[in-house]
Amino acid sequence: MNRFLAVVVHEYKKVVLKWSFLVGTLLLPVLAGVFAFVPAIIFSLKGEPTRIALVDRSGTVAPRLKDNLSADKMAERARKAAADAAVDITPSQDEQLKRTSAQLVESFIFTDVDPAGRSLEEIRSDLTSRITAEEFDAYLIIPPDVNDTAAVYEFRSRKGADFITNDSLRDALNSAVRSQRLAEANISEERLAAIGKPVVMDAKGLDDRGGEKDTTGLMIASFVIGLMIYITLAIYGQAIMGAVVEEKETRISEILFSSARPFTLLFGKLVGVGLAGLTQLAIWIVSAAALLAFLALQTDLSQLVGAVPEISLLMIFYFLIYFLIGYFIYASIFALIGSVVTSLQEGGQFAFPPVMLLLVAFYFSLAVIRDPNSTLSFWVSIAPFFAPITMPIRIMAETPPFWQIALSIGINVLAIAGLVWLASRVYRVGMLMYGKRATIPEIWKWIRYA
Amino acid sequence: MQEEQATLQAKGVTKRYGDFTAVDDLSFEVRPGRVFGFLGPNGAGKTTTIRMIVGITFPDEGQIKLFGQPVTTETQGRIGYLPEERGLYKKMKVVDQLKYFAALKGVSGREAERRIDFWLERMQLADWKKKKTTDLSKGMQQKIQFIATVLHDPDLLILDEPFSGLDPVNVEFLIDVISEFRTGEKTIIFSTHLMETAERLCSDILLINKSRKVLFGSLREIKESYGQNLIAFRGEGAGAILEDRAMIDRVVTHADEQELHLAEGVDAQDVLRRMVAAGVSISKFEKTEPSLNDIFIDRVKGGDNSDE
Repeated sequence: MNRFLAVVVHEYKKVVLKWSFLVGTLLLPVLAGVFAFVPAIIFSLKGEPTRIALVDRSGTVAPRLKDNLSADKMAERARKAAADAAVDITPSQDEQLKRTSAQLVESFIFTDVDPAGRSLEEIRSDLTSRITAEEFDAYLIIPPDVNDTAAVYEFRSRKGADFITNDSLRDALNSAVRSQRLAEANISEERLAAIGKPVVMDAKGLDDRGGEKDTTGLMIASFVIGLMIYITLAIYGQAIMGAVVEEKETRISEILFSSARPFTLLFGKLVGVGLAGLTQLAIWIVSAAALLAFLALQTDLSQLVGAVPEISLLMIFYFLIYFLIGYFIYASIFALIGSVVTSLQEGGQFAFPPVMLLLVAFYFSLAVIRDPNSTLSFWVSIAPFFAPITMPIRIMAETPPFWQIALSIGINVLAIAGLVWLASRVYRVGMLMYGKRATIPEIWKWIRYA
Repeated sequence: MQEEQATLQAKGVTKRYGDFTAVDDLSFEVRPGRVFGFLGPNGAGKTTTIRMIVGITFPDEGQIKLFGQPVTTETQGRIGYLPEERGLYKKMKVVDQLKYFAALKGVSGREAERRIDFWLERMQLADWKKKKTTDLSKGMQQKIQFIATVLHDPDLLILDEPFSGLDPVNVEFLIDVISEFRTGEKTIIFSTHLMETAERLCSDILLINKSRKVLFGSLREIKESYGQNLIAFRGEGAGAILEDRAMIDRVVTHADEQELHLAEGVDAQDVLRRMVAAGVSISKFEKTEPSLNDIFIDRVKGGDNSDE
């Protein structure tokens, strides 16, 4: 027992006192933040305005186009889009909309160019040379007949890859042309809007007590949790493999084996590194809870927080249980691989099968998010290797009957017992075999005779 | 040899790996307080035998008893084992590694720190306590490994090729430390293929070759029983006498002297008398005993011949 504790403490400290642990623990929340906010910040940056030479051969579209790109119109359309999607807009979000629209408007400067009887070819070559001289950034030629559906609206730009500008311009142009067509057909804009308005579908899930819950938030949260379990299992599995390979490579295992039984050493290693993993998860869970509590106090973002599904303490307890189950399953596979190979690089190559299994489990979890009560969801949340990722997601989406959770835990604990036994058989022989990688028949022999 | 309980007793120990028999019916005893040399060429089965003594593997047949008990984790705690293949954690501080190895042997807390400080001081490595393995030279790492072997004050020390990779100064230093360790009732088994060192340090030896026991006993007895007549000779004009096969079996020429192996039943005195009579100018004529190296080579080669 003393020796076992010594191994556990040693392995725990070895992981937790490393820089990589500290960095990893802090980095994940920071990375999550970066992924959430940086794109928004980048897109809100104001670019150089695009100077567009406008050749309106119809004589009717240009004023409408400019009007469509005015600040008021853009904000109004964004509000309308939000209303169609049945999302409520808070006053602060409305303010935000106005700001972004204004920015977009400032990014266009139009100059009308009179065709003045010149041929299309002449106009083109004239404008192209002026763009090359950097007098303009782009030109847009509007064809004479708006009702000609085959007509081409020619837009040429030096900044062809600026998709934000191109998209806003295309939208504004589309709507301008449509308005003109409607006007010519004597149909009012309002009438068309009423005809074309999509139905409002209010999609919310019902929990087992008949209460409403927001499925979008649930889906995102499930996905995040599935991804988190996948990443931690892969990281800690590889950590175990690294620890095993180091002891084999440096020949420390011979000293260790003369001090304690191989099983004590292997199991102590699994428990020690597993506790380090739990420590990291606990830090993440506590900091996520603190972050959400902080956000909830900011009125601006209370909307966002409201979308986070309710996670009970029981759910967190289940997550931790399944983290441990998944950890012991994958860590013993990684330990087995570590004791067979001769170097970490070689181990990396042979880590492919368990990583593949984890990936499959992650993909199954997507199916579980879609339909937590299907037959497939039932089986993958009970099967070893998959349950550690799929069952927590199923529990969150639609907590299954307790007997299913119990069955899943039972089957997986049995799988762990088998895998740990297998790994320790291979470990005790493999760790003393230096120089060459064992073949599958050799490993089979170790398992049978060791 | 039976007057006191043997530290180690091996009876008919056999270990097979598939079709290959690594150790074949090996029996021997190690008495307390002795330095026991475990000798043999590479691949003879030394490391396999040692692994069975320290409880890493177990014999297929036969029995090993340590301090009168079968091999268990408890006997492991009384052994200090320095393996031939040895290493340290690369990125861990010296003191942390030593603490871990001590804890695995049941020594922890203050006591462990006290012993670590003592040994680091003794090994002249006190300044390196907080350094990582990667900062140490190979020789320093060897010394740290030795400290890890003795931290729990074992009753039996097993050193497998302890001097490999050490420079001559450190070899002498380690020999001093080992000799110090010997005082008291400590027993040392050490395995080597360096016969000169074994001859210097060991009181008893076991020689194995090709998985089997070849020689076993005290060094003194072995040398005496091996008693071939051997003379270290340096001189001029003995040509004819050295050619006389009735008297001298063979001559081995070294750099500055010759080793004369006398024929069966020939007395060294007779040889000397004949040389004097023949007017040989003798600058050295000394009866010597065979070196362990000679015995080793003779027995190992002999073993080869009898096998084939």
